[in-house]
Amino acid sequence: MQTSTDEYRRCIRCGLCLSVCPLYRLTLNETNSPRSRVALLRAVREGLLEQPTGDTAAQFYRCLLCSSCTFVCPSGVTVDRLVELTRGEMVHLGLQPQPLTALGERIQQSHNISADPNENRLLWTSNLPNPPSGLGKTQAEVVYFVGCVGSLFPRSYSIPQSFVQVLERAGVDYALLGDQEWCCGYPLAISGDTEGARETIRHNVEAVRAVGAKTLVTTCPSCFHFWKHAYAAALGEELGFAVQHTTEFIADLLEAGRLPLRADLPPQTVTYHDPCDLGRKSEVFEAPRRILAHLPGVTVVEMAENRGGSHCCGGGGNLESFDPELSKEIAVRRIRQAGETGAQTLVSACQQCERTLAGAARNERLRLRVKDITEMVLEAIEPG
Amino acid sequence: MTDLSQELIARLVEALGPQKVLTSLEDRIAYSYDGTFAQNLPDLAVLPESTEEVAAVVAIAAERRVPVVPRGMASGLAAASIPFSGGIALSLTRMNRVLELDEVNRTVRVEAGIITADLQAYVEARGLFYPPDPSSNKHSTIGGNIACNAGGPRCLKYGVTGDYVMGLTVVLPDGRVLQTGGKAIKNVVGYDLTSLFVGSEGTLGVITEALLRLVALPRFANTARAEFPSLEDASRTVNAILGAGIVPATLELMDETAIACIEEAMRLGLPLDIEAMLIIEADGSDEEVVEREIAAIARICRENGARQVNVATDEKERAALWRARRSVSPSLARKAPNKLGEDITVPRSAIPEAIRRIKAISTRYGLPIVIFGHAGDGNLHPNILFDRQDPLQWEKVEAMASEIFDAALALGGTLSGEHGVGTLKQPYMERALGALSIEIQRRIKQALDPLNVMNPGKVLP
Repeated sequence: MQTSTDEYRRCIRCGLCLSVCPLYRLTLNETNSPRSRVALLRAVREGLLEQPTGDTAAQFYRCLLCSSCTFVCPSGVTVDRLVELTRGEMVHLGLQPQPLTALGERIQQSHNISADPNENRLLWTSNLPNPPSGLGKTQAEVVYFVGCVGSLFPRSYSIPQSFVQVLERAGVDYALLGDQEWCCGYPLAISGDTEGARETIRHNVEAVRAVGAKTLVTTCPSCFHFWKHAYAAALGEELGFAVQHTTEFIADLLEAGRLPLRADLPPQTVTYHDPCDLGRKSEVFEAPRRILAHLPGVTVVEMAENRGGSHCCGGGGNLESFDPELSKEIAVRRIRQAGETGAQTLVSACQQCERTLAGAARNERLRLRVKDITEMVLEAIEPG
Repeated sequence: MTDLSQELIARLVEALGPQKVLTSLEDRIAYSYDGTFAQNLPDLAVLPESTEEVAAVVAIAAERRVPVVPRGMASGLAAASIPFSGGIALSLTRMNRVLELDEVNRTVRVEAGIITADLQAYVEARGLFYPPDPSSNKHSTIGGNIACNAGGPRCLKYGVTGDYVMGLTVVLPDGRVLQTGGKAIKNVVGYDLTSLFVGSEGTLGVITEALLRLVALPRFANTARAEFPSLEDASRTVNAILGAGIVPATLELMDETAIACIEEAMRLGLPLDIEAMLIIEADGSDEEVVEREIAAIARICRENGARQVNVATDEKERAALWRARRSVSPSLARKAPNKLGEDITVPRSAIPEAIRRIKAISTRYGLPIVIFGHAGDGNLHPNILFDRQDPLQWEKVEAMASEIFDAALALGGTLSGEHGVGTLKQPYMERALGALSIEIQRRIKQALDPLNVMNPGKVLP
């Protein structure tokens, strides 16, 4: 994470990034390419573009931060990180788009992205068959860090609801942090608010340490990525506990035989969408596939673009709040790839991917169920 | 902005619609570079979607004497698509459709902006094969490949891009649309205008559509990798293989500089005590023939001084053998901030001497040169590694490039096998071709583009 924007100098302008950038491939316009974002940064640094304007800033917000370019760059330029850093600089120039400024303010005020009172973080637990055992626990082996979207957006409640039921079934000793859980800080960090991000990081780490947990688990790949790659560096010390994504945690439970599987499930064909923050950016490719391999009746078919070459769902980089139409078109591209596999179900492991892809499936009128992997697992295990 | 440019923009917007005419400084920066380190801003960029739209743009530009610089994905390595005189950067990337696949005559008609790898995937799904394989095939277009007559490793057996072009649609510098060639294989009526546009780097017109020849997709391939303590032996082996009547699909050479560079960056476990490595692939539609050829190749390597020969037994091993060659570019990028990748060709027998001379140049100037290339056709890629921030190094690089070209010419070779001239090799053109050839080429340019609006200042010195 210690990249400097000087890294633009390493770009040799070969153009390989164009072949994998979802925005370039959609628009076929060099302006929307990773190579051009690096060139623009160079132009700002070296004086060709003296006075950045809203048009300049737009090129850095019209990006999914999906990291496809970084993944293939032969020179090792971390283009997505350069875009994040440049977004930070745009804030200081007063060029951050309004919706993102408002987002930062909401997080500062309410410690979450939705501006709800932070106590509302546990509303999703209210209509479960049994109250989760992790509620109000002060000491536990595992902390489940739910993330703002799963906690506060009813559209995504079923993800934490499914996951806690899986935890209960496996008899995991876990705690929920409730209002002591704050936004992970990723949106602040990419808005150039390094201090705000550090404050939230410190708070969250203290909250987890207070529970004495050995492992922190997240369902949200973006929280996971930020916890895994930025937290220790921001604190300047080891966290003292492991950070895992639910897919890693569940794969271990399944392989340890801690989740009894149902024998009566009908066969189904499933394709798996690698979320950018989980796959390319955190290199968790196999854990979700290990889970699917365990589930009875499930046959996995891969999309043409998978693992490191996975195509973004369109929900990355906050593009949605900057250019919603473009974001939708990206999602359509991906859902068509899923449709081409002939699968009945598209599974992802991210609340954002699930939402954007489900929307695209509806718009395209595809006969394709879109689910989160925690929902798949819950359906496949014997009820307690 | 001048009145002319305002009026020009208005006319272009009228012809194409506002979405396809890009005028902001951010857009102009995006259309100011290619795969080299050169750069210059166009006045604007356009994204036409049909031959008619291209013709409209060119006509509007010609009327006002405004330069038009055609480009695909701008991955070229000769600065051929950089708008050094400003004007209009004309991007063909949105013209990316397959227009007709004729399976009986084995031809495909495509728009110029289709990405080469996309075209290859399209025809391969139907059992057909478009062989030219520039290493940029995922990030370059057919139009750009034709305009630079791109090559690639497979060209040893299958020929270069130009060998597959049967006909073209070209927007001439005055905006008229010319059709050349056709599906008939034999065609000797008049001058071969198709070949004239192949390799013309956008200086004679804008290629908007191409009719391409296809062949049957080879169903089997296998690979051998041979390690040679002596470069001379590796070179002898290349000639021995071809002399035995075997034409491998690819015959790639990496010398000790390339092996050391890859090993430093990638740690693949390559031996550092050899002078050269050959990666050889045989392909075809008969598995037995392919296996027999690769066995014969391995034997010839051993007989000619290879210390170790590995033949792949499955796809995984095949990919592993290729990994070294495919790691060259990323390894170079990690070794130095900048590289100048040259592209000389020499007669096959002169490869060892060429490599010796290039190494001497590297020693004399004190900058590393990494050498690899397509040994089967004598095409070498000496890459000079340097830091452009250091003006002294840049001066040296220019002198070194000039000496490399001299070495190639002295050995009966030439400046470029597959990258083209652009502006980077212009200073050496007359040395390579002689004054008469340049004069004739100038007259051709004059005949087709008397106003000098089509990619001005490129190719011809």
